[in-house]
Amino acid sequence: MTKALSWLLAGRREAATHLLLAPAALWLLFMLVIPALGMVALSFATNGPYGVIQWTFTLENYQRAFHPKYLPVLLRTLGFAGSATAICLLLGYPLAYYLSFRAGKWRNALLVGLMIPFWSSCLVAFYSWMIVLGKEGMLNNVLIHFGFLSQPIGFLYSPFAILLGLVYFYLPFTVLPLYASLEKVPRSYIEAAYDLGASRWTAFFKVTLPLSMPGVIAGCLLTFIPCLGDFLTAEILGGPRYYLLGNLISNQFLMAQDWPFGAALTSLLLVGLVAGLWTYQRWEESL
Amino acid sequence: MSDRLSRRGFLKAAVLAPLLPAFLAACRRADNAKVVNFFNWSNYIGKDTLADFKKKTGVEVRYDLFADEEEMFAKIRAGARGYDLIVVGDYLIPRFQSLNLIDPVPSGALKNMGNLYARYRRPSYDPAETTVPYLWGTTGIAYNKKKLKSPPTSWWDLWDPKYKDRVSMLDNVRDCISVAMQLLKIPQTTRDPQDFQKIRELLVKQKPLVKQYSSSSYLNSLVAGEIDLAMTWSGDLFQAARDNPDLDYVLPKEGTYMWVDCLAMLRGSRHREDTLRLIDFLLEPEVGASIANFVRYPSPNEKAYPLVDASLRKDPRVYPTPAVLKTLSLHHTLDSEQSELWNQTWADVKVA
Repeated sequence: MTKALSWLLAGRREAATHLLLAPAALWLLFMLVIPALGMVALSFATNGPYGVIQWTFTLENYQRAFHPKYLPVLLRTLGFAGSATAICLLLGYPLAYYLSFRAGKWRNALLVGLMIPFWSSCLVAFYSWMIVLGKEGMLNNVLIHFGFLSQPIGFLYSPFAILLGLVYFYLPFTVLPLYASLEKVPRSYIEAAYDLGASRWTAFFKVTLPLSMPGVIAGCLLTFIPCLGDFLTAEILGGPRYYLLGNLISNQFLMAQDWPFGAALTSLLLVGLVAGLWTYQRWEESL
Repeated sequence: MSDRLSRRGFLKAAVLAPLLPAFLAACRRADNAKVVNFFNWSNYIGKDTLADFKKKTGVEVRYDLFADEEEMFAKIRAGARGYDLIVVGDYLIPRFQSLNLIDPVPSGALKNMGNLYARYRRPSYDPAETTVPYLWGTTGIAYNKKKLKSPPTSWWDLWDPKYKDRVSMLDNVRDCISVAMQLLKIPQTTRDPQDFQKIRELLVKQKPLVKQYSSSSYLNSLVAGEIDLAMTWSGDLFQAARDNPDLDYVLPKEGTYMWVDCLAMLRGSRHREDTLRLIDFLLEPEVGASIANFVRYPSPNEKAYPLVDASLRKDPRVYPTPAVLKTLSLHHTLDSEQSELWNQTWADVKVA
């Protein structure tokens, strides 16, 4: 297979490149671009009786989306996604640092360990957390047993439970890019800093951290963006007062039978994200 | 040589990949096996019902579950046509019919249809009898006897601030809006936006007390003591009470609703004969009774009634007394405009 590919690459470089890119490009086209365009088209359609979609053009869905009642949902979602990302970064950076600089022969085993949560569905993981966090769950029992609590606390259906779920599930998304960028920091640079009299902390803040910034940013984006759209965590671990954007959107499709409105909300989220990323890239280039 | 082979393999894969949909379509066409695809509520059938059906007829039932009927409706409406048989609530039947999704059960096709009580024949929500009643039940209040000083008596107890964070409500537009309407004495036929404004306010007012909106996982919460008071469907609570005998059920003094879940054949079913056989099988007295015994919902099957466990039959919480039965009303059948008002109000409650 490798030989075949190198033969292809050697003879007809351009054709070969196209051929190699084709599966991924086709996949993206059919699984991402076309559905996303369909979603945008749907957001201009009219919702008919019983949620039957009528293809008459309207801007009403967007007008409704800007109703102030949705603002708290947006702010709450940004808050949860932002805090989850910050916690992931605080927990993830030392972890990635350890994996890259200290883990030695354990590194591969630990990396595999980091991925193990992904081997099961997050649904299973969240239900397990329900068992742990419940009023008669393990956490309460342990805390009461050792006298930290006299009465069980309702950990479940709280902001704490949502953050825990988000951090639990998205931590590897932060750690892996961090680890990759820390791996690329030339060890000789750090040694040079030591040779020039820098302390461990100075060397870290002046050399290691700046050189790992691409990983920090990639890790934050990879955590923040899916957190924005997450609805399962809030659905299972969060209570009715912690209704997030993802829940709002999924409810339009599954419960309110209002697909065009759900599509408008999705399109706005998509536009917001693309605009945010674009602005960030422009800002980075201007530096 | 090996190069050539792997290159050929690569190209073959590249050529075959686009044919995958055609292959899948071919599989669909070849799907003549004796199966019925059955889409039902979770915990809503007897333990051995489907195995018994297979033993008797050789027909396999592929069983799929939903936890919310609006979600089920969304799936079917969006074109999930793989299902042959669904369980659908009375109030949803006109909606399915208006979208032409139900394949009417031909009259006379079921030899066991006569086993049903007369009052479930030609019902108001489906006078042409295109569907077949499966189980029925009431919506009421579940509570934990050990945790509450006095049993709840009224829907208003679910609005009582002393139960803050100990209450759960069904995550279901029909039941929540209906209860709010009952408390505000608003008729279900209303289309007045002001009425819906009041309903929304009442439900939003309750929100700070509510630990979860849920139609299934709240039962685990009740059993585990996470919540002590819940709006519930009768049989679901009696199932949960098997795991926690402190749980009890009351019908609120304001009165409540009953509903009838029906078996409906979906249009486009490729297993029509076997689906009808399954419906007929579910109507057999022994089968109906074993389902009712397991799920603890009352059965609309008159012939099955004597075979139901006496402990359930004599329990007025499960089979309400004739006097209570008279006070129970069915949900009003909504037209599309009302349906949208209900859905929007419920969606706004969730957002608030």
